Amino acid sequence: MEVREPETGIESDLDRPWVVIVWNDPINLMSYVTLVLQQLFGYSKEKATQLMMQVHQEGRAVVSGGTRSEAERDVFRLHEHGLWATMQQD
Amino acid sequence: MAFRSPIRRRRDGSYTVDLGPNERELLVSMCDQMRDLLTSGDPSLVRLFPTPYGDDTERNEGYAALVVPELTERRLAALETVRSTAQATQLTAEELSAWMRSVNDVRLVLGTILDVDESGTTPSGDQDDADRYATYEYLGMLLELIVRAMAK
Repeated sequence: MEVREPETGIESDLDRPWVVIVWNDPINLMSYVTLVLQQLFGYSKEKATQLMMQVHQEGRAVVSGGTRSEAERDVFRLHEHGLWATMQQD
Repeated sequence: MAFRSPIRRRRDGSYTVDLGPNERELLVSMCDQMRDLLTSGDPSLVRLFPTPYGDDTERNEGYAALVVPELTERRLAALETVRSTAQATQLTAEELSAWMRSVNDVRLVLGTILDVDESGTTPSGDQDDADRYATYEYLGMLLELIVRAMAK
């Protein structure tokens, strides 16, 4: 029987998913943020509006998540569209 | 009579753009100024290139070195599209998307210079600021029209 070493700190760290966060800013139009979320992630208007309102009212919202490279791709596209996005491990 | 937006989706998926010569001139001038500014490292660009990794300086530096040049290229390409279609009365969805991103980029820069906050502060400063604010407001209206035309 194979015994797995418990010291898998690195592996479990790699496995932990990343989340992409959009932060509130006073410049971007609410309608623009909603449209960008629809276009980039294929969200319905309702879902995108809900996320936009969360950003507006709570200051931030998780808009997507996944592996590090998936999160990096999403952050890149959000930055390309001028949204203030960051990523962190969940 | 119902308001007819100057930017409208056509049946074939392209867009009609009815803007006056002054507005088109502003777009061209905006593109030229933005193109020069983009590669200058000016602090007013801060909102175009956010740091994605919070306090992780090392990863933020990696992003700045590897990704920011590509982001800059994308922005320059969008500006070039706006520049070359500034006089067009019909745009493809892709071209209008370039307009949308470029107009938003310029708004972000102007809003940063003007230090716009949640209350939408009207600048009490000099004539340059008043001119910037007028452009900022105009581009906000134009962006809203583009977004409405593209929204499903």
